[in-house]
Amino acid sequence: MSAADNKKSHYINAKEISFKFDGKKYLGYKGDTIASALLRNNVRLVARSFKYHRPRGLYTCGIEEPNGIVQILNEHNEPNTRATVKQIYEGIRVNSQNRWPSLNLDVGSINNLLSPMFSAGFYYKTFMGPKGFWKKIYEPVIRRTAGLGKPPKEFRSKSVHQNHNVDIVIVGGGLSGLIAARKLIDTEYDVLLLEQDSFLGGILKNSNKIKKINNIDVNKWIKETEKLLKASKNIKIFKNSLVTSYNFTNHLIALEDKCAGKEINKDKSELTLHKIRTTHTILANGHIERFISFRNNDLPGVMLASSFEKYIHRYGVVPETSPVIFTNNSTTATLLKSLIDLGHKPAAYVDARDKDKIGKKLLDYLKKSNIPFYINSEVEGCDGSKKIKTISIRKNKNKIIKVKSSMLCVSGGINPDIHLFTQSKGLVKWDDKLVTFKPDVPFQNTITLGSVSGNYNYEKTIDEIDQKLSFLKAKNIRFNLELNDSNNFNIQELWETKHEKKSNWSKSFIDLHNDVTTKDLKQAVKEGFDRIEHLKRFTTNSMGTDQGKISSINSLGIVSKILKKKISEVGTTTYRPPYAPLSFSAIAGRNTYEFYDPQRKTPIHYWHIENKAVFEDVGQWKRPWYFKKFETESMHLAVQRESAQTRKTAGILDGSTLGKIEVKGKDALEFMNLMYTNAFTKMKPMTSRYALMLGEDGMIKDDGIVCKFNDKHFIATTTSGGAPKVLADMEEYLQTEWPHLQVFVNSITEQFSTFNISGPKSREIVSKVFTDVDFSNENFPFMTFKVFDYKDTEVRIMRASFTGELGYEIYITPNHALELWKKIFHYGKAYDLVPYGTETMHLLRAEKGYVVIGQETDGTVTPIDLNFNWMIGKKKKDFIGKRSLTRSDTSREDRKQLVGIIPLDKSEFIEEGQHVVECERLPKPIKTPVEYLGHVSSSYHSPNLNHCIAMAMLKGGNKLMGRKLFVSSTYGNKNIPVEVVSPVFIDPENKRLVS
Amino acid sequence: MILINCPYCGERDQSEFSNGGEAHVARPENSENLNDKDWGRYVFYRDNPKGIFYERWVHTHGCRKWFNAVRNTSTDEILKIYKLDENPPSKESFTNTLKTPSGEPKVGSGNFTVKK
Amino acid sequence: MTQLLSSKGVNISQRNFQQIIIRGDGKEQFNQLINSEISSLPPSNNLEVTINDKFIFAKNSFDQWSLIYLVEQNYKEILKFISNVNLKDEILASDYSYGQVYFEISGKNRNEFLNKLTHFDLRLKKFPAFSMAQTLIAKIDCSIYNLKDKYIVTCNRSFEDYFKERLQDTANI
Repeated sequence: MSAADNKKSHYINAKEISFKFDGKKYLGYKGDTIASALLRNNVRLVARSFKYHRPRGLYTCGIEEPNGIVQILNEHNEPNTRATVKQIYEGIRVNSQNRWPSLNLDVGSINNLLSPMFSAGFYYKTFMGPKGFWKKIYEPVIRRTAGLGKPPKEFRSKSVHQNHNVDIVIVGGGLSGLIAARKLIDTEYDVLLLEQDSFLGGILKNSNKIKKINNIDVNKWIKETEKLLKASKNIKIFKNSLVTSYNFTNHLIALEDKCAGKEINKDKSELTLHKIRTTHTILANGHIERFISFRNNDLPGVMLASSFEKYIHRYGVVPETSPVIFTNNSTTATLLKSLIDLGHKPAAYVDARDKDKIGKKLLDYLKKSNIPFYINSEVEGCDGSKKIKTISIRKNKNKIIKVKSSMLCVSGGINPDIHLFTQSKGLVKWDDKLVTFKPDVPFQNTITLGSVSGNYNYEKTIDEIDQKLSFLKAKNIRFNLELNDSNNFNIQELWETKHEKKSNWSKSFIDLHNDVTTKDLKQAVKEGFDRIEHLKRFTTNSMGTDQGKISSINSLGIVSKILKKKISEVGTTTYRPPYAPLSFSAIAGRNTYEFYDPQRKTPIHYWHIENKAVFEDVGQWKRPWYFKKFETESMHLAVQRESAQTRKTAGILDGSTLGKIEVKGKDALEFMNLMYTNAFTKMKPMTSRYALMLGEDGMIKDDGIVCKFNDKHFIATTTSGGAPKVLADMEEYLQTEWPHLQVFVNSITEQFSTFNISGPKSREIVSKVFTDVDFSNENFPFMTFKVFDYKDTEVRIMRASFTGELGYEIYITPNHALELWKKIFHYGKAYDLVPYGTETMHLLRAEKGYVVIGQETDGTVTPIDLNFNWMIGKKKKDFIGKRSLTRSDTSREDRKQLVGIIPLDKSEFIEEGQHVVECERLPKPIKTPVEYLGHVSSSYHSPNLNHCIAMAMLKGGNKLMGRKLFVSSTYGNKNIPVEVVSPVFIDPENKRLVS
Repeated sequence: MILINCPYCGERDQSEFSNGGEAHVARPENSENLNDKDWGRYVFYRDNPKGIFYERWVHTHGCRKWFNAVRNTSTDEILKIYKLDENPPSKESFTNTLKTPSGEPKVGSGNFTVKK
Repeated sequence: MTQLLSSKGVNISQRNFQQIIIRGDGKEQFNQLINSEISSLPPSNNLEVTINDKFIFAKNSFDQWSLIYLVEQNYKEILKFISNVNLKDEILASDYSYGQVYFEISGKNRNEFLNKLTHFDLRLKKFPAFSMAQTLIAKIDCSIYNLKDKYIVTCNRSFEDYFKERLQDTANI
């Protein structure tokens, strides 16, 4: 009693391949899956179960496999691979999972003996306390013993995405899929044919049910069809491509394994995620067989009957020459014949149906072939350790007899694979004759063909395809089938057989993957979980990675019996994508590492690199954070140096990332008055102004400088990160609220590079760069700007400052940006001009008490909170957020307000984000909450004052000036004593700015 | 990712669009005359029904134009798209087009109750 | 023109063009003004592209046009054109000349190649010759112009390195 080759199969002539399973070497054929190769070698025990660590064998021959889940060692340790899908290649090393120290001797199997503990809802009931146990004890233990494979080793996937826009997608290259495709050859439609296996044919290859199509042998017909499809102009075939999701508006996702049957090439992509938008979807994805629950229906050796048949025909391996066949329906007849035709003799044929349903033809055949058969009978259970030894058959629903065999082929009926159909929001209905759910009303442009539509009759399939494709301009070709056996489907409903309880070890499973027994279902219903969605979550039934593909309908059957309801009343649980597990690397595609987020660079970027800039991400921009003068210079030293030098002579910042928006039109002035808090009406042409933008809730959203050319033309700058949002807001209000305003806005961020030069020597430097311009204070006062010719372009220079020093912002088109930047350094050298980055920018503005949107503000701060009352055009009738500034909440006096703070001991440093409190030491233990006054929003060591300066948002901060308070610290429970001061630490009279 | 028919660019993938919440909520003209409650209603409250919903969309990564849509929020089915200056279609005109009013089939979904 | 890659039926090169974005109402006065400046009427249908030896002129949306010079112009002339047009209150012309980068993509597999980076439906029946679209390619905002035998794709200059790396990466694996 062991496996044998199907000598008629072409596989037997294929190339031999050696592979390793759990360290032992085996031989298989090219094209074998791990499963078929193991069966060929009589390996029956392949896994330990999830919870009880029971020995498990291969149960199916495809994606629905609940047991045979393995780890591929040589492919970056890829876990949770289905042995029934993954093809072997020379040198592949495979390990079983969830066992220790070995598959044969697994310590975790003690769980099986303790199984009364592990009943339904086990996790919810058991790990309730005491406090702290979950993290320290329960979770680590559970993680080690329960669960699947080990995580893969560090590996950067090369999986790619491929988008498709087509007219028709055919899911499944079996009988109906191929016929539908042939009818669409060289029509006007763009067609994609997606097949999960590495070959076309489906049922034609999986069995010998169909002999000939149009008088051609099926294998020849498949070859011919593939050739015709490939030669067509409009049809593309993707094999090894599993459709995992069917989303709304006919959007499908399919995962293509490009390395099926070969080792991953680390330089090429191994997976393609096809993202498909189609007009029509043809689902021809077939059916999945279901099992029957009986005592020890999980023992290695139990296998679905159609899977056994697939191994014979598809892979040329007969897993066992004399198995017992147990069925309740007509589909197993061909398995029986396949075995007998190959000269093998099943040990017994057990059929739950009566003789009328079985039919005289089959009964005669059984007699003639001298096979022991039992009708009106069922398998009570099976026994053996690590594999089946004996099978108990309840004959005529009465007497139990025992039969010796090492394999048991089970068929509990077949289910249309409605997963994708229901994902697409199609309605299903219960069919009493087929004893299953089948598609009813599609929600999208979905057509179901063949067994997925509940049509189990191959001859009728031909008519079905003709009829369902008639609305398309498909070709009128007729196909005639020649069958091995007439296939009028019939079935006797059977979900679970009655069995005697023998020991704790005896179990009747409903979900093999998650180790859920039929007893668990019954107990859960008893405990009140009588709705199918609750029941599923409480028992974890069908929640494994196989999603209960071979068993979920069975659980409905069993529950309906307990509740004494029709299955249609019980309903199904929701089918959600993905249809089968897919790796995160496939979902991510190339959008990882450097492509995780697009990167934006300024025209000066490479100069920054040459000058040892360390970069910071600001939105998508790469901005210099600070420049290292020498390789070992620390950030602190660099920032202190840059800051001091800027106030001493001059410093320059690449501000090209600032958003710039051009606003123009007849009503531009009115528009700007509405968008910003400031009043722009009295502003003189060619001047600029610091401006604030609020949300309708009155909270500060963005700030920037607005340049006014005239009442009809403005240029506004925004923060680097806020630019897209500000432009979008402007467009939104123009289109939706104020369409009567004649205004256009364009983003010109990329059209201008911006340099901010500041420091006492900045005037001398720019005067040398732009010799034609008079930069004197009289001619070029603070907050004015000028536009003038420079080479073949124009330069706009604005006198403005974010440092508190004399400063200029230079705007230049990018074609001259780098050249001008270098020129400024050429002339700046004599003044020790330093380039500085964002950190120094932040330090310098903090010394001056300027706020940064997103640092001092967090979406809950109004201009009043920042003492920006002077920026609010109170006389304006309206602007965005105006009404909200007088809301009861925004006018509270105890709102958090901006203050400066300094440590009383000048040698101490205050950390950003720390809390400001009134007490010197926090009480220990803290019995009542300590009143929290606010938080530190910015803090720096000022090189110009030589102590720490900080800004904080404090409750009622304006009234706290001069108060002694305390700031918490990470260095201990002692708080740092501080004084509340004005946030302007340098040049409060603005002498440096305006002179 | 659903398909949205921009009135200016044609059918595009949802990833190009942003949703702007409930449509036809006009910004009050004389906000200074509103009390806190009424102003608060405009600023903070938006409807979010299950079923037919009139909402705003913008083709953010395309033409940047705003438009209105009527969508069944339980099925994501977009029943009508119309420009900002067009009148909204009446709600009654959609009721018959709903294949599953709650978006969930009687059978085939978990939102189903087993009565005692 | 710099050749970036050429493999498996896809050729991509970088081009240096100059561009102006024009906003306006598209009515008679607008058309006349543009015509008087460049002797060409702006295309009137949404997403339509007209092309001659000197430039591509496309209507991006109902109130926006892009004018791309295929032959390098004296930059001063472009700025002069912009300031002339901007004299009219109802029009906004913004210079995009050096703020954008341009890629020419040709070859028989160009659709399949681009569809690794964008969901956009490039089939001729949905994206006819001499039409344009604004869409996402490699997660960034791009404009794509279908010039029948090739596409011109433009994006913001700051994305130049990123976009080129994505193109190269797509060709490599």
